[in-house]
Amino acid sequence: MGGLIRVLGGRAVQAVLVALLVGTACFLMVRLLPGDMAYRIAASRYGYDLVDGAAAEAVRQELGLDRPWPVQLGAWFGGLLRLDLGVSLASGEEVAEALGIQLGHTLLLSVTALLFSLLIGPPLGALAGLRSGGWWDGALLVLSAALRALPAFVVGIGLMLWLAVEWEWLPVAGVGGWREVILPALTLALGLAAASSRVARDAVAGVVASPFFGFARMKGLDDATAFRRHGVRNAAIPVVAYLGLQLVILIEGVVVVESLFAWPGIGHALVHAVLGRDIPMVQGTALVMGLLFVALNALTDLACWLLDPRRRAA
Amino acid sequence: MSLIVEKLRIRGPEGVLVQGASFALAPGEPLVLLGETGSGKSLLAQAVMGTLPPGLRAEGRILLDGRDLLPLPPRERRALWGRRIAMLPQEPWAALDPTMRAEAQVAEVDRLVHRHGAAEARRRAAARLAHLGLQGAGRRYPFQLSGGMNQRVALAATEAAGAALLIADEPTKGLDAALRDTAGALLRAEAEAGRMLLVITHDVALARLLGGQAMVMLSGAVVEAGALPGLLEAPQHDYTRRLVAAEPSRWQDWPRRPPGRAIVEGNGLHKRLGGRELFGGLDMSIGEGEVVAVAGPSGCGKTTLGNLLLGLARPDRGQVRRGAWVAPLGLQKLYQDPVAAFTPHQTLGQGIAELRRRHGLAEDRAAGLLPRLRLQPALLGRRPSEVSGGELQRFGLLRALLLDPALLFADEATSRLDPLTQQEVMALLRECVEERGTALLLVTHETALAEKAAGRVLRLGT
Amino acid sequence: MTLSSRRLLGGAMLAAVAGFALLGPLHGADPLRQNLSATLLPPGAGHPLGTDHLGRDMLARLAAGARLSFGYALLAALAAAVPGTLLGLLAALRGGWPERLLLGLADAVQALPALLLVVLVTAFAPGEFLPLYIGVALALWVEFFRISRNTAAGVLARPQVEAARLLGLGTGHILRRHLWPEVAALTATLFAFAAGTAVTTVAALAFVGVGARPPVPEWGSMMTELLPYHAEAPLALLLPALLIFLTVLGLHLLAGRERA
Repeated sequence: MGGLIRVLGGRAVQAVLVALLVGTACFLMVRLLPGDMAYRIAASRYGYDLVDGAAAEAVRQELGLDRPWPVQLGAWFGGLLRLDLGVSLASGEEVAEALGIQLGHTLLLSVTALLFSLLIGPPLGALAGLRSGGWWDGALLVLSAALRALPAFVVGIGLMLWLAVEWEWLPVAGVGGWREVILPALTLALGLAAASSRVARDAVAGVVASPFFGFARMKGLDDATAFRRHGVRNAAIPVVAYLGLQLVILIEGVVVVESLFAWPGIGHALVHAVLGRDIPMVQGTALVMGLLFVALNALTDLACWLLDPRRRAA
Repeated sequence: MSLIVEKLRIRGPEGVLVQGASFALAPGEPLVLLGETGSGKSLLAQAVMGTLPPGLRAEGRILLDGRDLLPLPPRERRALWGRRIAMLPQEPWAALDPTMRAEAQVAEVDRLVHRHGAAEARRRAAARLAHLGLQGAGRRYPFQLSGGMNQRVALAATEAAGAALLIADEPTKGLDAALRDTAGALLRAEAEAGRMLLVITHDVALARLLGGQAMVMLSGAVVEAGALPGLLEAPQHDYTRRLVAAEPSRWQDWPRRPPGRAIVEGNGLHKRLGGRELFGGLDMSIGEGEVVAVAGPSGCGKTTLGNLLLGLARPDRGQVRRGAWVAPLGLQKLYQDPVAAFTPHQTLGQGIAELRRRHGLAEDRAAGLLPRLRLQPALLGRRPSEVSGGELQRFGLLRALLLDPALLFADEATSRLDPLTQQEVMALLRECVEERGTALLLVTHETALAEKAAGRVLRLGT
Repeated sequence: MTLSSRRLLGGAMLAAVAGFALLGPLHGADPLRQNLSATLLPPGAGHPLGTDHLGRDMLARLAAGARLSFGYALLAALAAAVPGTLLGLLAALRGGWPERLLLGLADAVQALPALLLVVLVTAFAPGEFLPLYIGVALALWVEFFRISRNTAAGVLARPQVEAARLLGLGTGHILRRHLWPEVAALTATLFAFAAGTAVTTVAALAFVGVGARPPVPEWGSMMTELLPYHAEAPLALLLPALLIFLTVLGLHLLAGRERA
């Protein structure tokens, strides 16, 4: 148990670091932004027509924008602690409320993408690893090298033009039923699968060449049984461990792919907020994306812990 | 039940690797194949098992119970594994699945190979483990068991498979003397239980423990065969003679010399490592020209003690004092794995030249030491990975001697070398002690070696 | 495929793109000049690779995009590699609190996925190049730091270093003969990967509009502009994608080994 607590404790520290990093960056952004912040906030509340100097002054007083900046930074993080993410400068709605809806979409997309990638990557990699040096091993190497050289948006455009525009099998973009999620999820999954298939290939090749696999065969187990009993779990451990690192591909992909497919999730909202200089929204979306990354990593840690008795004993 | 091997030749792309070996194996009497690394003894075992590396071909006949194995298709040879022929793994801690409990690794043989029910398989596995003295260890994972216990788990799994022919390739590799004796006794018990046993080893002591028949191999050929222990008592072939003479227990005692001034002195040394106390309140000193050995099983803190005396580590309590007369670089060390003690990024000659420049040493000093240590000058142009272990260890000695050390710390410096090479390197160390008056601190798990060489033996962890 | 032939192929791909970037200007067209009476032309005389939806010469724009991506990738990777590697060596050699401090800093930077960090930095001034450089270098130095620190720490723990110290060979020797040969090889590999990451990051951010913006001839933003015309001018949309692919694949192949 001690090992698990230590690992998850590390993730908790990471979550705090994410909050500090995002919070500080956004605070600096406010300070460095050209123009009068109070005026912009007042305008977002009352509309540009109704705003005047007095209203801006009232906001300045209320938010304490005239206090020295260390005090303001403290107040800023105080807000974060109370989960008070503020109001969107662009739409005027509560950031937390908007994030709730977007997070649902992003979760649907990323979980589907993860499932797809696990269905594609590790099995194909395992096949290559079982016959390392064979034709499929070579083919998979070329395929995954090519996929890894393509940014997610290029893969997305390719799939969109091919599956949605050319063949009209799937909707081009948007959100609605299950059909809409397939294209963006597949785009993300291909990038992930390209990476995880290589790890699976190396892991399986390593297990097959390992002394314990050899001994299992020497004991009289046939190849299929030996692999089921001694290959799968041992090969899965590095695959899952690396999945934690590869989640970076997923989270980075979400930002771009949501924008491409007009998927109303957090990544899409983040890009919009950056373009519109909607700082409370930038902070909220970046924070939630970062925390999603941490949470998914914590899940892979947990999976590793369950798979590997050495970690459980540590 | 019998195994008869007739005129077995193994060919590789570069010629014949094993020429015309013939032997017969019957239940109850072990056969030991003795020879050094590269003598082809492991290839013989692989040919019987059917696991020769790609590119190698076996000719001749291998008759198991009258049936020739060599013409059989791979599938049929594979079907013999476990049921008819079994091979004990070299390093049992690597040969067990790290993610599966010990008992399950034994029980799966009964369940999946012999098709017993799950409960019956578990019962049989527990009985086998208990028989080998592993009661209660079945629920543990291999990493929670010691090396010797892992070896017994592997043996239990092999027994479960039930093969009449058992092959063990270097079963004592990486084991210290005590574990080697246990492993030898376990293997002999297998033979006495009516199995055919073929053991491959470079360890003369293990051969003596096993008894039965022995064959000595040298560069692919059998040079001598006969019954044990007679073969080792009165060896005929020159190589066998040297092999037997290389056993530390047969060495002459090194001359004892009175120690001179103290080189290093440790007082009241305490050291903990990994939450375990290695030693508490240890006093130790080494004098000029003295040979001191520290012996004990693996993990008892022998190396740590040497490192404390050399100042490479600090004691938790107590102090180490170095004689004021000892030069700053007067304490030198030889390593267990010589390859790891050299940077792979320069040739041996470049390394020596750099050392010479750094300390302003005369150019002919290294040149003069080369023949003394029986090293060819041509080796200077090679990298550490391109010379043999024995040669590299002698380069380690050369580089230390360049600095005229008062004390040499040999940390298991010969334990990874073949017996003959070990004897040669130890003889050179002895010459250093006698000619230069260098003091020697030997750390070893071989009690015999420690007793022959050292005037004083410190036993740790007993 | 052997390591050297893989590197050769990667080098050839990069040389092809670099040659294209350098020889493009010889064609003489201005990548920014519009001609609304000659839009979406197929390749032909005058415009060897056709024109885009505003009648701009595709060859000139793609070559300008290549110069931009190459220069950017090299600068950003260099800005990450030099301090990252040096700090890693320093941390391993010095140990103690500087090492702990730097490791903590690295943890903090890697708490966020790299692209998210870059987006945060670009949010200070969307559409400008300086935050892009800073952001990518800031995200990438950590990998150089970690790899050089971990490699160096691993080598320092080996008997070869202990032996060198006992033999009185100084820190200079250890740095030159023990650490640098191993760190340099890994850093060179990582450099190629980092340059590839820089290329894709710039293209991806430009594609969603956070990075370089029209009319700057950047591969990613060109694809945003040309996406609506995929039916009329598929080649114009394909070409920037192909160049990104060749550049990144070339860098990955040049790196030699694979990255997990």
